[in-house]
Amino acid sequence: MTAVALSHLSKRFGNHLAVRDLNLEIESGEMVAFLGPSGCGKTTTLRMITGLIQPTSGDVLFDGESVVGIPTERRGAVMVFQKHLLFPTMNVAQNVGFGLKMAGVDKAETARRVTEMLELVELPDLESRKAHELSGGQQQRVALARALVVRPQVLLLDEPLANLDANLRITMRQLIRSIQHEMGITAIFVTHDQEEAVMLADRVALMFDGVVQQVGEPDTFYRRPSTTRVAQFFRNSNFLHGVRSGNVVSTPVGDIEVDPVQVADGSGDVILSVRPEEVKPVLAGSDAANTVPATVESVIYMGTHTQVVAKIGNSVWNVQTAAAFNPREGEEVLFELPKEHVWIVKDDSNSQPDAVKAS
Amino acid sequence: MARTTELTDLAERESLRSRLKIPLMLAPAVGIVVLLFGGGILVGLGQSLGYFPAIGLNEFTFEYYGSVLTDSNFLRSLWLTFRIAATATVLSSVLAVGFALVLRQKFAGSRLATFLFQIPLPVPHLVAASGIILLVTQSGLTARLAYALGIIDVPGDFPAMVFDEAGIAIILTFLWKEVPFVGLVVLAVLQSVGPQYEEQARTLGANGRQRFFNVLLPLIMPGIMSTSIIIFAFTFANYEIPLLLGTRFPSTLPVVAYRLYQDPDLALRPEAMAISIVLAIVALLLLIAYRRLARYAVR
Amino acid sequence: MTVDTKEPAGPAAESQEYVDVTERPTVTAKWVRRLAVASIAVAVGLPMLSLVVWSFAFRWNFPNLLPSEWGTQAWAYVADDSSRVVEGLWNSTKVAVLVTLLAIIVGLPASRALGQHEFKGKSAVEWVLMMPIIVPALVATMGIHQIFIRLRLTETLFGVALVHLIPAIPYFVLVMASVFANYGTALEETARTLGANKFRVFRYVTFPAISSGLLVASMFTFLISWGQYVTTLLIGGGTFVTLPLVLFPFLSGANHATAAAISLVFVAPAIIVLVFTSRQLGRESSVMGGFGRI
Repeated sequence: MTAVALSHLSKRFGNHLAVRDLNLEIESGEMVAFLGPSGCGKTTTLRMITGLIQPTSGDVLFDGESVVGIPTERRGAVMVFQKHLLFPTMNVAQNVGFGLKMAGVDKAETARRVTEMLELVELPDLESRKAHELSGGQQQRVALARALVVRPQVLLLDEPLANLDANLRITMRQLIRSIQHEMGITAIFVTHDQEEAVMLADRVALMFDGVVQQVGEPDTFYRRPSTTRVAQFFRNSNFLHGVRSGNVVSTPVGDIEVDPVQVADGSGDVILSVRPEEVKPVLAGSDAANTVPATVESVIYMGTHTQVVAKIGNSVWNVQTAAAFNPREGEEVLFELPKEHVWIVKDDSNSQPDAVKAS
Repeated sequence: MARTTELTDLAERESLRSRLKIPLMLAPAVGIVVLLFGGGILVGLGQSLGYFPAIGLNEFTFEYYGSVLTDSNFLRSLWLTFRIAATATVLSSVLAVGFALVLRQKFAGSRLATFLFQIPLPVPHLVAASGIILLVTQSGLTARLAYALGIIDVPGDFPAMVFDEAGIAIILTFLWKEVPFVGLVVLAVLQSVGPQYEEQARTLGANGRQRFFNVLLPLIMPGIMSTSIIIFAFTFANYEIPLLLGTRFPSTLPVVAYRLYQDPDLALRPEAMAISIVLAIVALLLLIAYRRLARYAVR
Repeated sequence: MTVDTKEPAGPAAESQEYVDVTERPTVTAKWVRRLAVASIAVAVGLPMLSLVVWSFAFRWNFPNLLPSEWGTQAWAYVADDSSRVVEGLWNSTKVAVLVTLLAIIVGLPASRALGQHEFKGKSAVEWVLMMPIIVPALVATMGIHQIFIRLRLTETLFGVALVHLIPAIPYFVLVMASVFANYGTALEETARTLGANKFRVFRYVTFPAISSGLLVASMFTFLISWGQYVTTLLIGGGTFVTLPLVLFPFLSGANHATAAAISLVFVAPAIIVLVFTSRQLGRESSVMGGFGRI
């Protein structure tokens, strides 16, 4: 069942179009990540879902009903902000119980649910502490508890982990994921961190310049990037130009056979892409198919693997190989591009060249 | 060996310097305030307790306090002073919060409105009184407008707001001056807090009224408390405005005290001092009580 | 965020996302806003406007809404030596400048200590310094009057300036401590590590950072002295005359035109000050914020 639907959603600030024609349906109990560089419109989208800002055009629907005319406080879309925003004048219990108090839930019931929720976020017995007496991770967990206790229609998380240090972020990810599953809450979160999006979300919506570029399960962004920018955002900048006819693409370094399950159809000029970890070095004279000659430019030993930068035709490729592979700089090697990992991507590198800043 | 001693000396001198640094920075300001303000109060306290060698009084006595505190006129003046100061303080705070809530929004003309709102801040109290007089006396501009609109026929029909026992013109003058003061402090607090807490409260289901009372008010309460303490202390002790715009009898306490102090009969001075000391103590007690109460209310 | 610096709206305008210019307020909110702005305009404008009109009125009897005869006799009187307005203006200026300079000299180190350092007894020091704001100063002024008689400081410029310092120092320190606290010490420490000596740190780092706050605090201090009435009356003994002392008798009299003209002379510096500091008051929240932290 569709819990949240965004239909032709657009937002204009002055003459800057922050979000354009966004369409997305989110299933009940699903966790969707809006992923993108800063300024791509993901937070604006989240704020339109809460009603904190009004869309310029388009519609937001909860359970099939438009909520655009409904004020934020009656939507049941609860936001957890990047800064924890615990009310400084209240203690932990008052903070967590805030939403229940607003809804007029009686005190005993509030106290019971607050305690229950604090246990769920693994913060028991901290009810009477003030916000500033807690650590950063604890504060963010209280903020999470405060949002969850009202059993939101949809939970919105705006870079909730950005202010936490690396270790804490990992624990918090697991906590959020497990609670979200356990409670079956529909959740949307915003992040600029592709790793976080991939780890947490059932589906990822990648946004550049106010436009959703690609929506799908996390692995599709690795295996099936739709465009060169999407590929680059997921740290894959291995591209090879060629001309396609049928299942064969002829490139300056030879013919490459591609899997017929390509989204991009037809023939003509195309760009091929293979993820760094899927490129395989092969010995000269091997009978492997889809091999291309390459000139090694640099070799960095990374412990678990070796990072090779090599030139294939006119393109510079990053290749991640077994640690044992140790060519010299300038050496000519042969790489196999396995057919099932060769993917045709659309070229959009000229549309907004500076917008690809995966931080 | 000699070198070590030298170093220790140096380190000691350094630590002495750093230990003296803060006291030295504070000394001039604290010194002037303690000497002048403290010294003045000590002299006043001494005279109120009967130590006034200039007119041959050396006996320690509570008699002046006794005569002041049992005087029904004193109590009447005290009540008048308190009523005016409290009214001005409460009304200033309420109005100021209202204006600050409007002025923090961005709209066409909001910058001009904020500038206008700031104007009374630097204007001297006497000028404020001067302007208020021209507006609210029975032949003032408001009365003339009322006549033009056919509401009154003669100046006497217009309610007396100057030299009245309610002290309306006094309160209006104080409001004119203090509303912008409190308002700008509240505005500064609101701006530093930003809209984020309200947005958070909104997504948690708080409506406008709930956001104001549960989120915004507790956040701006410390600012309101500080400024209302300043205003109350100021209006409670102000001399020239009630002298100018108030009744001759009863007068506010500062007016009474000053009148006694300036009397050619020096024997009235201890009483003037006793009144001023009581005024100061009452102000201090009220402020402490208010602070307690406000803190309790916020909790 | 400043409104008048126009940043090009681009994809990196994340901070702009929060300023939603298309947001429409509700009808009630709009009317409340209009009512508030209108009452500000009337409440502030009407008394000020009345003063201007009255100062040029020769005859303006009830119930006329405008003077029946106009004249500049009030201004002629103001300019005349016998009115002592010019003398008062000059004395007021001298005292206020002196008070401001003294407040800066003694107040700057103290506000820095309170704004940037933690030390034992800090709250006690704060209490002492705030006392003149919280405790009615009348008794202290009367006491000082008698001390000053012995020290022959009454009826002198310096004596009057000293009593004005009593309320001036607390307000100055209150504002500047907040400015210092807001600005912190990190920048100065960085400058020190980059090899700047103490003087240069102050000249090139500290001063530029606090200068706008200092300007506002100084002007506040100037205006506190400028507006003093009862302290000047007592210590000046009626022979050292400042503007409020010249104005006062006219306020209780029937000569509204002269009262209005002197009031306008008296208020002029205040308005000039506001024009200079208005932006700081609205923007630099640490300046007004200082009053919120007693």
